[in-house]
Amino acid sequence: MKRYDLIVVGAGPAGLSAAIEGAKRGLKTVIFDENEKPGGQLFKQIHKFFGSKEHRAKIRGFKIGEELLAEAAGLGVEVVLNAAVIGLYQEKEVVVRIGEAVRHYKGDAVIVATGATENAVYFEGWDLPGVIGAGAAQTMMNLHGVRPGEKVLMLGAGNVGLVVSFQLLQAGCEVVAVADAASAVGGYGVHAAKVARTGVSFYLSHTIIKAEGGDRVNAVTIAEVDERFQFIPGTEKRFEVDTVCLAVGLSPMCQLLKMAGCRVLEIPAKGGQVPLVGTRGETSADGIFAAGDVSGIEEASSAMIEGRIAGIAAAEYLGYAVNAELEAAIAENEAALSELRQGMFAPGRRGDMVEFTDEGIHVSVSLLKKGYVNDEEIARFTSASETPGFRPIIECTQNIPCNPCRDVCPRNCIKVESITALPRLNEYNACSGCGLCVASCPGQAIFLVNGDVGGGFANVTLPYEFLPLPKEGDRGVALGRDGQVVCEAWVSKAQISSAFDKTNLLTIKVPAEMAGKARFFKSKGAV
Amino acid sequence: MGAVERILEREFVPADDDGVVVCRCEEITKGEIRRAVHDGIFTMTEMRRYLRAGMGLCQGQTCAKNVKALMARELGVPPLELEHATARSPMRPVEMYVLANEEVAD
Repeated sequence: MKRYDLIVVGAGPAGLSAAIEGAKRGLKTVIFDENEKPGGQLFKQIHKFFGSKEHRAKIRGFKIGEELLAEAAGLGVEVVLNAAVIGLYQEKEVVVRIGEAVRHYKGDAVIVATGATENAVYFEGWDLPGVIGAGAAQTMMNLHGVRPGEKVLMLGAGNVGLVVSFQLLQAGCEVVAVADAASAVGGYGVHAAKVARTGVSFYLSHTIIKAEGGDRVNAVTIAEVDERFQFIPGTEKRFEVDTVCLAVGLSPMCQLLKMAGCRVLEIPAKGGQVPLVGTRGETSADGIFAAGDVSGIEEASSAMIEGRIAGIAAAEYLGYAVNAELEAAIAENEAALSELRQGMFAPGRRGDMVEFTDEGIHVSVSLLKKGYVNDEEIARFTSASETPGFRPIIECTQNIPCNPCRDVCPRNCIKVESITALPRLNEYNACSGCGLCVASCPGQAIFLVNGDVGGGFANVTLPYEFLPLPKEGDRGVALGRDGQVVCEAWVSKAQISSAFDKTNLLTIKVPAEMAGKARFFKSKGAV
Repeated sequence: MGAVERILEREFVPADDDGVVVCRCEEITKGEIRRAVHDGIFTMTEMRRYLRAGMGLCQGQTCAKNVKALMARELGVPPLELEHATARSPMRPVEMYVLANEEVAD
């Protein structure tokens, strides 16, 4: 039986981070992953991450995956793919299916970072081909380059549903609607807003009644539900679609830990059954640790930090590090983790209805019900000037832990006091119009407005992550936050720059009075 | 009176959507699962043995939560009162010829 100091199960953000910390401290480390590609969900995450520099904010998920893999390889971590761990027995014996054989390994410490699995809901026709998990759609698009369908209905307005809806739009699909049985959008408002402004309708307090089709789905019917989640007759809406995506939550995959005898609790707020873990990821079984979604559903950013903590803790358990140095590293990581767990979407506040921001501003109800901040509400957060000169308009209306806009501005125009504070403009510093804030905002919530470019027109610069990129001189229409046409628009500039990391900047010329409304552009041909 | 006595006293009441499949791998319907509860199947482990719900390719990864909620509703107990099925090896489906190809010795 082959022996390792540390065996990590799962090569996702938590597992890779854990292996890196272990290997750094001299542990002979191997990672087993059942997939053909490493990275877990990271390589499907083509959007920019939230957070601050320490959390690798504004870097796209797959880039973070590449960095972690390179770091692990540099430290001599063995990553074994197509290797499904099928059992975790006494004395930390790990049984792995590799190719056409079953092999046994012994780990002096084991870190389980198996992640989570997508939940399903059942309704008439849910077993038709074409009804798929949102994660499956992401795998098809972002790992294999296959578009799941042409017309899609998304069930679920949490972050997964919103992010995948945007990616479906990027892949060229039509998203006919985003529906959710909850009465409010559960994911980040900025994720909802970037979907809504392209013209996608949101149906909150709605769920699927049935999917129809023969050999695959060809229509889906949703209906409104009351507070007790019962259908309200007469509210049915039918859409012709070829794909239905389900994004109805995740469940931790903790079966291995359970099998190993770790104490497991059922905690609905963490997504279901989770191991009982201490602050260092230690389970109730000696030398077995858990990190990432397997111990409670959160974001990849927190999974990476949990992984680091568990990796350090495993090294300490095996006597590979000095205690004081480890305590310091753990404290530093825990501080970063607690930063990510602040704000309106903090794990402890899940499900709470927040009425006011930390700044005391009444939150946008329209954002929660329809996916966009309406024209009246936006005035509480920003105001577009009608004077010449650039000015960033920051439509960031929820307290989420994120601050790349502050760090990227070369003139210090943007202030973000605590990490979850809403960004504010530093009125004394003049914006140069460089657009770095527009491109680096992971929520695509920053626009540059030049309120007077002459002739009664204004320029609006917006983040644009679709292909083909419109060209200078193209005519089209500007869409409002609600995705409705607000006016005619002309492309005055289309900027591509490596500093923008593929978030291209589109500057459109619109009548000056529309500068506060125009937030998306559609070419004439596409309308 | 406990949940067991209560459920055994109550008649199975058919519902319009009893034909909806809940466990896709083994093609077990909502009606079959509800009826099984009235037959005396009160735990997830029993349900796996009785109807094979959660015993297919995905090993209940897709349906376990839904089967559990359905059973709890039929029993008239909160879902947290029902225990999940035992976790046991192999955690992933493995063909018999692969299982037989086990390398144990050094």
